[in-house]
Order: sequence, then structure tokens, then C-alpha cells
Amino acid sequence: MHPLSTQLIELGTLGLFAGVVGALTGIGGGLIITPVLTLVLGVPIHQAIGTSLCCVIATSSGAAASYVEHHLANIRLGMTLELATTVGAVAGALVAAKLPRDVLGVLFAVLLTYAGGMMVRRSLHAEKTQSDDVANYAIKHLPVGLFGSGVAGVVSGLLGIGGGPIKVPLMYLVMGIPFKVATATSNFMIGVTACASAFIYYARGDVRLLISAPTAIGVFVGASLGTPVMRRAPSRWLVMLFSIIMFYFALMMIWKSAHGGFAR
Amino acid sequence: MARLTQDKSDYAIALVLRYGSLISTLVMTLGLGLMLLRGPAVSLPADHRVRLSLLFPMLLRMDPAAVIEFGVLLLLLTPLFRILVAVVSFSLERDLKYVLISLGVLATVLLSISFAIEG
Repeated sequence: MHPLSTQLIELGTLGLFAGVVGALTGIGGGLIITPVLTLVLGVPIHQAIGTSLCCVIATSSGAAASYVEHHLANIRLGMTLELATTVGAVAGALVAAKLPRDVLGVLFAVLLTYAGGMMVRRSLHAEKTQSDDVANYAIKHLPVGLFGSGVAGVVSGLLGIGGGPIKVPLMYLVMGIPFKVATATSNFMIGVTACASAFIYYARGDVRLLISAPTAIGVFVGASLGTPVMRRAPSRWLVMLFSIIMFYFALMMIWKSAHGGFAR
Repeated sequence: MARLTQDKSDYAIALVLRYGSLISTLVMTLGLGLMLLRGPAVSLPADHRVRLSLLFPMLLRMDPAAVIEFGVLLLLLTPLFRILVAVVSFSLERDLKYVLISLGVLATVLLSISFAIEG
């Protein structure tokens, strides 16, 4: 087979898989794409993160559109917090450019462990979060919310993820936003946050067209296929299975960083 | 009345989000298809800044790499279009506070874009 078509098929399949899993479990696609690109396909970690940012935009747009149509996303709150996430995202991307790949690998492993842990916790407490009133609520602690959003933006710019695992608990637990609205608003913010760092990766040559385009196409198709089933709560076993995979990826990334095994 | 305009701007924002990613996916697929047909000769300069003055003439010739790059740019710019729609709809609602907030977000994103794109 032609090497280019092999590459396109591999990356497209990875994207498709990440898109479907992301839609079914709520894991951001980036948490799957970056480990697979670096650990399995040997892509340098900065380029993997650049690709992940493209995929984050491709998936979040479709999901955010349906949240906005159903008036679940709080657009005014989202725009306000985006003031902080975008500034954080620009800063994070500029810092990521200076960090050695092994440091980024360890940071990513920490994030995977944290996000995996959050997923396990959420699936164990799933019943409590679904009954809130999504129309009447007051926003509390906006300054804390802005600060936390800035941190979420830095993490997004550094590691190429959407920042949902940080923003959703922040809005739900600290700011008093109903869980469904917090999820929808976080999703609404992801695209703009990713956009603010994606161009900095682009300028440094870390958005490679032949890596990012096929993966993003796969993610878009996968997310579109997975979204119709998304309305049901994800099966607890599926969430557990993928958290275990995330913990495994985290260990692999630490091992690779310790042995200097990341591709240049 | 306020509810009605909010519905309209929600609808416009949803429209941009939905079709932005769909159209950019189609353009990227077209570019990759052209590249498979014509072979992977990369014809764009390799220093990763987008020069619009080079990109558009190559697009007109349906250069595969230029079509893919255009698709990726459309994808990355979808959130920018969404901010622009928000600025316009908050202006129509005469909601000055949120016009200013949206303009602040817009300015940060434009700063980031200025790293990568030149005329």
C-alpha cells in the first residue's frame, strides 16, 4: 500500500475511535489522541498536542451547537470565563513551546491520572448530579471562577485538551452552576480556548497538515456517529474501562519520559 | 422580546458551530483526496506561517497542500466566527457589558492568530 494512504488510514481510524469514545464517555478526545500519537505512532509530543487541539475544536463545535440550541449552555457566563481561559491558553502554549518533551510527557501523565480519577468519581456519584433545576440558579464566586478558568486555559494550552475535567467541577462545586449547565457551558468554551493556543502551535510548525487533517476528520465523523447515543448516561463499565486505559497511558508516558523515549 | 432575540442569537451561534466544522472537514477531505490522486508533493513553503497572498492563488489551482491547509485554517477559525456572531448579537440586544467582554475575547484570539497568519 502507498505509505501516505497507510498514514491517512491509521490516523483517520484513531480519530474515529477517539471521537466515538469521547461522545460515549465524555472523555475529551485529546486525552486519547495525544497518548496514542506519541506512544503508538511515534509522533513528537508537541505535534501530537497541536493535532489534539485541532481535534478538540472539531468535536466541541458539534456538541456545543446542540447544547446552545437547547439553551443549556450559558453563553454570557461562557464568554465571561473565556476572557480568562483564552489569556491562559496563549500563555500555556507559549510555555509549552519552551518545555522539553519529557517534562510535557510527565505533565500529561499527571493530567491523565487526574482526569481518570474524576471520571471514576463521577460515575460512582452519577445519580446526584442529574436532578438540578437548569433554569433558575445564581452564579456565585465569579472571581474564583475567573481564576480557575485561567488555570484551565493554561492547562489547555500546555497539553492540548479542552479543560472540561477542570472547568466542570469548578462551575458545579464552586460557582453553584447546575451540573448539566456546567457541562454544556464548558463544552461551549472549549473551542475558543483551543483556538487561542492552536495558532501558536501552528506558527511553530506543530500543526502538521498530514497528521492533523486526517485525525480531525476521523474525530468529526466519530463524534457525529457517537452523539445520537450520547443522551443516555454512559455505562459505568465503559467509563471504568476507559479510566483504566487512561491510567495505563499515564504509566507508559512516565516510563517513556524517564527513559527519554519520546520522538524528536 | 429579550427571550426572542436570545433565541435568534443562540440559533446563529449554533449554526456557525455546526457548519464551520462540517465545511472544514469536507475541505480537508477534498485536499487529502487530491493529494492521494496526485502524489504527496508538498508545494507550500515549510516555515509554517500562512501567507494568504501565496495560499489563495494556490487554492485557485486546487493545489492539494493548499486545500488541506485551507481546511485546517477554516477549522481553527470556526471559534473566531462564533465570537464575531456573539459580538453582533450582543450589539443587537444593546448589551454593552457583553459586547465589551466578547471584544476582549476576540482581541486575545486575534493576538494568537497574528503569530501564525500574515497577509
